[in-house]
Amino acid sequence: MIATALSSLILATLAAGAVLALQHARRWRAGQPAGVDIVAGLKALPGRYLVDVHHVVARKSFNARFHALTAGGFLASLPLLVLAAVPALRGWLLWGLLALALAVMLGGALMVGYRRRVEKPAELSQGRFKRLPYALLAYAAAFLVVALDQLAGGVLPWPLALAFVLAGAWGGAELILGVGRGPLKHALNGALHLVAHPRPARFHDRAGRDTGLRPADLEAPKLGSERPLDFAWNRLLGFDACVQCGRCEVACPAYAADLPLNPKKLIQDLVTAMDTAADGERRTDASYAGHNHPGRPIGLAQGGAALPLVGPGAMIHPDTLWACTTCRACVQECPMMIEHVDAVIDLRRFQTLELGATPAKAAAVLEELRVTDNPGGKPLARRTDWAVDLNLPLLAEKGQCDVLLWLGDGAFDLRVQRSLRALVGLMRRAGIDFAVLGEEELDSGDVARRLGDEATFQDLARRNIATLSRYRFGRIVTADPHALHVIRNEYPSFGGHWTVTHHTAFLLELVESGKLTLKGPTGGSVTYHDPCYLGRYNGEIEAPRRLLDAIGLQRVEMERSGLRSSCCGGGGGAPLTDVAGKRRIPDVRMDHARATGAERVAVACPTCTLMLEGVVGQRPAVAEISELVLEAVA
Amino acid sequence: MTSPVDALLRPLKIKNLTIRNRIMSTSHAPSYGSDGKPKERYQLYHEEKAKGGIGLTMFGGSSSVAVDSPAAPWNQISVADDSVIDHFREFSDRVHQHGAALMVQLTHMGRRTKWDTENWLPTVSASSKREPASRSIPKEMEDYDFKRIIGDYAAAARRCKLGGLDGCELSAAHGHLIDQFWSPSVNRRSDKYGGSLENRMRFGIEVLEAMRAEVGDDYVIGMRMSADELIDDGLTHEDCLTIARTYAERGLVDFINILGGQARDHLAHAIVLPNMSFPVAPFLALASAVKREVGVPVFHAQRVTDLNTAGRAVAEGHVDMVAMTRAHIADPHLVRKLMEGRVDDIRQCVGAGYCIDRIYAGGDALCIQNAATGRERTMPHIIPKTTGPKRRFVVIGGGPAGLEAARVAAERGHSVVLFERNAATGGQVTIAAKATWREALTGITRWLTQQVVKLGVDLRLGVEATEALVAAEKPDVVIVATGGTATRGDVKGTEHAVTVTDMLTGAVEPAESILIYDGTGQHHASSCAEYLAKRGASVEIATLDRMVGEEIGATNQPIHLRELYKLGVVLSPNLQLVEIYPEGNKRVAVLRNEFTHEEEERLVDQVVVEFGTLPNDGLYFNLKDRAVNRGQTDLPALLEGRAQPAVVKTAESGDYALFRIGDAVAGRNIHAAIYDAARLVKDL
Repeated sequence: MIATALSSLILATLAAGAVLALQHARRWRAGQPAGVDIVAGLKALPGRYLVDVHHVVARKSFNARFHALTAGGFLASLPLLVLAAVPALRGWLLWGLLALALAVMLGGALMVGYRRRVEKPAELSQGRFKRLPYALLAYAAAFLVVALDQLAGGVLPWPLALAFVLAGAWGGAELILGVGRGPLKHALNGALHLVAHPRPARFHDRAGRDTGLRPADLEAPKLGSERPLDFAWNRLLGFDACVQCGRCEVACPAYAADLPLNPKKLIQDLVTAMDTAADGERRTDASYAGHNHPGRPIGLAQGGAALPLVGPGAMIHPDTLWACTTCRACVQECPMMIEHVDAVIDLRRFQTLELGATPAKAAAVLEELRVTDNPGGKPLARRTDWAVDLNLPLLAEKGQCDVLLWLGDGAFDLRVQRSLRALVGLMRRAGIDFAVLGEEELDSGDVARRLGDEATFQDLARRNIATLSRYRFGRIVTADPHALHVIRNEYPSFGGHWTVTHHTAFLLELVESGKLTLKGPTGGSVTYHDPCYLGRYNGEIEAPRRLLDAIGLQRVEMERSGLRSSCCGGGGGAPLTDVAGKRRIPDVRMDHARATGAERVAVACPTCTLMLEGVVGQRPAVAEISELVLEAVA
Repeated sequence: MTSPVDALLRPLKIKNLTIRNRIMSTSHAPSYGSDGKPKERYQLYHEEKAKGGIGLTMFGGSSSVAVDSPAAPWNQISVADDSVIDHFREFSDRVHQHGAALMVQLTHMGRRTKWDTENWLPTVSASSKREPASRSIPKEMEDYDFKRIIGDYAAAARRCKLGGLDGCELSAAHGHLIDQFWSPSVNRRSDKYGGSLENRMRFGIEVLEAMRAEVGDDYVIGMRMSADELIDDGLTHEDCLTIARTYAERGLVDFINILGGQARDHLAHAIVLPNMSFPVAPFLALASAVKREVGVPVFHAQRVTDLNTAGRAVAEGHVDMVAMTRAHIADPHLVRKLMEGRVDDIRQCVGAGYCIDRIYAGGDALCIQNAATGRERTMPHIIPKTTGPKRRFVVIGGGPAGLEAARVAAERGHSVVLFERNAATGGQVTIAAKATWREALTGITRWLTQQVVKLGVDLRLGVEATEALVAAEKPDVVIVATGGTATRGDVKGTEHAVTVTDMLTGAVEPAESILIYDGTGQHHASSCAEYLAKRGASVEIATLDRMVGEEIGATNQPIHLRELYKLGVVLSPNLQLVEIYPEGNKRVAVLRNEFTHEEEERLVDQVVVEFGTLPNDGLYFNLKDRAVNRGQTDLPALLEGRAQPAVVKTAESGDYALFRIGDAVAGRNIHAAIYDAARLVKDL
């Protein structure tokens, strides 16, 4: 009787859960169509789960362990409980296996309890998530007692045994029925998101990295996403896979500086808004039980699936949208593989292209880009003003060269000119056959694109591609990771295919091939700040470090480095939208550098250079890697 | 956000020449020429500016094109024969390797030079009018003189081109031959070269046409001229605009380099080379007016000492190139520091005029505050880090000598503690700067102080160093730069006098009638007189010299005299102070005429004397016994640029080496104090 009650309750709960899941699926299925290869996704699912997701989860080994124990035990227990519905199978083997699975799960559940109730990491949401350990413990412990009792032949008095069944069943219901809205929704939505992921190339079985933005169809009736329903269905599915683990919150540089952006809340804002089906129905964020966007009170945000997402009184405040530096730290940390930055850009595209609502100086810079092809509105010939005495060869005059040096808009800036001078000096010493485009070089389009101005981006990209296509050169070298990313990863969509090398990798080649000879150790300590667009966007974290090691500097790492480095605050047009926080992002980053005690911070990006140079007070000196290499060459 | 300074870093294209930025140094005469040639010293001086990032450096202020315009005064350069070409080639290679452009100024000085030197030829000019500055009476040029001199100009331009120079500038300013023809104050001719402005312009046009014919249209030729002679019988602003427009429209010049004023007499000299009493860029408006009239680039120099002024001059369109000539004497790495975002590290010209004043006194150009300028062969502009052991330095005294010693030691990588008994650094510079327009002198010690703070020198202000305090630092090197104290001299009854220092520091309140006795001829007595007169005192300066302030140079003395005359100060030269005695509350000063030996007396409230300083050497002698070198500086090592042997020794013995620099040795001047410090410490 007890066994029958046990399996019946579970079967009923599973059935109810399935109905609920189907119901909830309607929310994301209402999104725009997306070209998804479901069969390939299903085939890739186990690998994506066991390798890619595990790789992210395992950055916190305790979490990986309790996740494996809890989920493993739970998933193993479910079929055994279903099998228990068949009287013929109710034997010592079934009960023994069930007891084993539940014991494993109990161990995991205790760890979950320890984490949520004792450790209490600040980034975890409360509310419904608070009940999770109880549900897990109830299910695992109560059913374990029942399984052991059945193994022992039913020694407990039946009312007591039934009480255990009911206790366990409550836990099971809490978990399984929560597959729609509760903590366990990630199990189903997470798996489906892995199947239908909008960037399949990011997984280990493909390129392993996919960071370029997708071109927007400028002929479409609506540009960018205004409402939840304007997102593709698999994007909505991705948002709905969020379990509010808060890893993005911990990683977000804007959040760290108390700018009004918490990526976890941003995703939850989208989830809350998509929760309403009927037109005009509104929901507020009152039920959200995690940290809000800094400085914003809970309960003010409201929206619906068919309502505009961004606005002062809407689900997402414009300051939140424009505080993002597009650094991808959240994406890097998300165990559910959610693409926050894509969402931000989709929303920005609507704001900029349809509403012209780009804030602060960003609008003026976009205007300069449209009219003058560079953000400062300077005559393009001035890009090489600083280099008159260096006699930079022009590609237009040479016709061809080995290396095309892409100068970037940093060339208009006094500070960046210093590092470019160093780079040119090094290339000359190494005898490199190089040239520059001079006034033919336009802004790469990076800032326009991150600010949502896809039209200006595409215009700049097409014209740069047309210019580049006229010449013959071996490859492009640039000191600007933003230009590198755009040309390498985003121009191919418009027919531009070139090999682009970051100057740090290029200089390393020159050192390793002996074209640049070093004086021997220069001494002094340095900490390297990874540019987001070089590290996370392009995976290049080794070459700059090997270069620093080669020139004999004592290298110390910041707490956040490599692929998990923290942004300088300069990406995504953030310095232009200039959303205020309690602190400035570069000040926070400089704190990380100060904590290492290093004499200098080595940078490898013009934007990082300027952001970190702008930090006032006692601090390590900021040196661009070219400058350090120039100091070290014989 | 664009700063006006950004405008300075834009290239300027003139014909086929692209100058990398808008900052230049105008041609001047540092007196570094040797046998009429720009040799190593001259070249290194300009190479340093090229290294320092300057766009265009022009050398050879008043380089002569003809034998009757001698190069000998102020050790200038002669372009009158082909022997100069190889030197030009070496010079231009040297400067070009650093990316700067190089040009020379060409001129015939006309009447503005000496006949009693070099070739002993009479001077020539448009008319036989004596020039007050050179005191020469020229011969009026006749037909063959025109032909010869025009040919000389053309040949000189050819030598510039062959020498690889990027261009040349014709001097038609400061009263040289071309502008002697222009100016009605000199030109009294009645032929086709005199009379109307059109006729007066003719000679210069013929010169430029001949130069053009010689070097072709591509070669850059410019002209330096005044945009207002600022004298009643001279060229007016309108005349100058007409000249500039006419020459530019005819395609004779590729740039015009504008200044204000002329230089035929003492005060004009001081105005055309404005010192610290002038505001910055006093004549920028003149250059701006010319810029509106002509289609060629306009250059301008005259007390543009800071980058913000320079930046605005270019950004607002007043000029195309801004010349920071004396600013580069103070810091030849000015542009590089701008490019490196280190504007605060620029050693800014204070306008003391020490560089130019030395020239007119027959010396070589040296910077009051930068001991390396003009000494590039032996003195570094960028102090190299030591490759030897890091030492502990104790510097005593925070005047220019002590600060410079601390700065150089810290730049070398040593650890430095500096004791200054006053609450602030500055030493005697602080006292000198109390006197009215001399205030800008504080820039010298302010920069040094800012640098030593930045370099981490441990500044102990308000602490009088003692043997015990020094010993407690366990120093390897002790440098005594305790300066000097004004002396009342040894005139009979001198105890009844006070010193210039007493007055300037406010230790003694000025009374109604004051006699100042100037025993040094330097700025001290004159500036103190001005200070006291401005406070309402009735002041007389007596001196044994032929004029008050006789040791003050040509760009400063006229300003002193102008101010003293304006204030009604009585100037009494040729008198020696022989005795002071009291009479009631008053003092009687006995003065003896140097030539007649007749004595006269002055009954005044106060007698202020200026006899220089005597060293503050008490601490030095207390420290001397324990020093391994007993305080002696090894002079051969010092002059040859080697480390002092005593310092090498201390590393082993653990004792300290002791050195005494600046006025603590013997009262001299700011430059001597700074040179003492830099020359000694750069090798330690």
